[in-house]
Amino acid sequence: MTATYPGAQTLAANGSRVRSVAGGIGRLFRRAPLSAFWGCIAAAIVCMAVAAPAIAPYPPLKSDFRAMQKPPSETHWFGTDQIGRDTLSRVIYGSRTSLTVAMGAVLFGTTVGALWGLACGYFGGRFDMASQRLIEFLQSFPDLILAMAIAMALGGGLGTVIVAIAITRIPFGGRVIRAVVLSLKEMQYVEAARGIGASHQRLMFRHILPQCVAPYLILATTHLGVAIVIEASLGFLGVGIPPPTPTWGNMLSDALNAGLVPPWWLVLFPGVAITLTVLAFNLLGDGIRDLLDPRLRGSV
Amino acid sequence: MYSYIARRLAFGALTVIGVSIMVFVVMRILPGDPLVAIFGPEGMTKLTDAQRESYMRELGLSDPLWVQYLTWVKDIIRGDFGHSFFRSESVADMILRRGPLTAEIALFSVMLSWLVGIPVAIVSALKPNTAADSVVRFFSILFLAVPGFWVGMLIVLALLFWFGYRAPMAGASLFADPVVNLQLVIGPAIVLGLGQAAYIARMGRSSLLEVIREDYVRTARAKGLNSRLVIAWHALPNALLPVITLSGVLMGLVLAGSIPVERAFGTPGLGYSMFQAVYERDVFVMQNLVFLYSVVFVLLNIVVDLTIAFLDPRIRLR
Repeated sequence: MTATYPGAQTLAANGSRVRSVAGGIGRLFRRAPLSAFWGCIAAAIVCMAVAAPAIAPYPPLKSDFRAMQKPPSETHWFGTDQIGRDTLSRVIYGSRTSLTVAMGAVLFGTTVGALWGLACGYFGGRFDMASQRLIEFLQSFPDLILAMAIAMALGGGLGTVIVAIAITRIPFGGRVIRAVVLSLKEMQYVEAARGIGASHQRLMFRHILPQCVAPYLILATTHLGVAIVIEASLGFLGVGIPPPTPTWGNMLSDALNAGLVPPWWLVLFPGVAITLTVLAFNLLGDGIRDLLDPRLRGSV
Repeated sequence: MYSYIARRLAFGALTVIGVSIMVFVVMRILPGDPLVAIFGPEGMTKLTDAQRESYMRELGLSDPLWVQYLTWVKDIIRGDFGHSFFRSESVADMILRRGPLTAEIALFSVMLSWLVGIPVAIVSALKPNTAADSVVRFFSILFLAVPGFWVGMLIVLALLFWFGYRAPMAGASLFADPVVNLQLVIGPAIVLGLGQAAYIARMGRSSLLEVIREDYVRTARAKGLNSRLVIAWHALPNALLPVITLSGVLMGLVLAGSIPVERAFGTPGLGYSMFQAVYERDVFVMQNLVFLYSVVFVLLNIVVDLTIAFLDPRIRLR
């Protein structure tokens, strides 16, 4: 289980770290083949986002006025929208925005939350009390509504959408990591380290933080899916990344604006993309959770 | 019990105050300039300095922030939710007219989520790791991943495509015109209900699996009770407690989810107004609606906590 505790392997050679990651992936395939399969799909979606310019058959913003609002055909597999842009290319490019926002938001939100939770759990007292109240206030907003309000106040854009979604993720990181730290703080090895005179900083970052990596990874992967749905909803409501940037949410919103009866291909494909991506990350997250934290296996 | 209720209410009041401050900070302080939000970055450049001054004064935006906050709170307490920039109707009237429709959607969706989620959870927990269980788990995982508003769009399209049917556009109250009203409400309620049902089935399954292993359930079986009775009378009530709590948390999903879902269906409810407020960058309407939604969320969770306390003496007597 060296992959779980990077702190324990700081002295180990680099080669063994590579082997332990490979071993972790191997274990994932043996123990949870379904999660591993969906993990492969998630990886494929990431590759698609990275290689979008090479894969997409057309530039995502180029209008073809001879082929406006055409149903799927041999030249345009997913059809074209009302100003003749190729839907397949836009779906492929949409994965870029979606994944950038989701990963950025989860990385930012969960990390801030985790560090906050670390400080709360470690120091306790009034700081902890005040922080817990603040976190409860944050959780009194439904996620999407808070993200909408922040995105609207800051004005649309990639950065603001990431920040807006990240803020809704902070309470989760804060809560979970705080609970972990509270129990770790009482462990004997921490007491021993304190006994030989380790500073607060050293205790927090060298001794306690490495043990928080597993819950942190579990949190991050499970929240990726939520972040993707929130991003799509923001785009759908018109407070996401402003058009013409292709995002799945924007495409669905455009489809509704196309007229009283939106063409089916404009509705179907971006939604399938969202669903597949969220499904892949959720199931990968389940697999990682089972692997890193066997106690939780089979629970919600 | 009374001291618990008092504590919970006091805590709820504190939360509402905190939430109001947070809404104010987000909506009034974060945007460098509310006029940019109203007029857009381009319209902004066309305003002269004198015009900006007068707009700011008119909107009460040149007062100190704490004065603005107190004025806002006072208005809310008086029931004055202000006016939209774009419509003549006051926000309070709009809430009264459109709110019931969204409330109905929320209520029906919660009922549906229990009607679907609990039986599914029971089937799944009583026969774990069978084909039925796998099917149920697959669907609950799928429904956790599908965005509700997209399902809504698909439903609207499918009905239009195959049956040439479209829900009526105008709102109608349940009592004045139940037929029109139900046509408006049923779609969003199904979409939001199934989304919640997935969570409820998952939670109910694991909670029931845990309870079934308890000693008292074995005792009930050992004394010869019919196993259906054991589940229905002994296991289920205890297994449902965490599900009730979850249902309260899921209200956030319903309240927020109703915004894109109502847009997808074109339902003339409060969620649609929220979408319009966002779309038109109507800062003040948005501020009041965000506050309203959060307060409703807080209140519903107080109701859930009190229900749990009423049902579970371990919490009530702590």
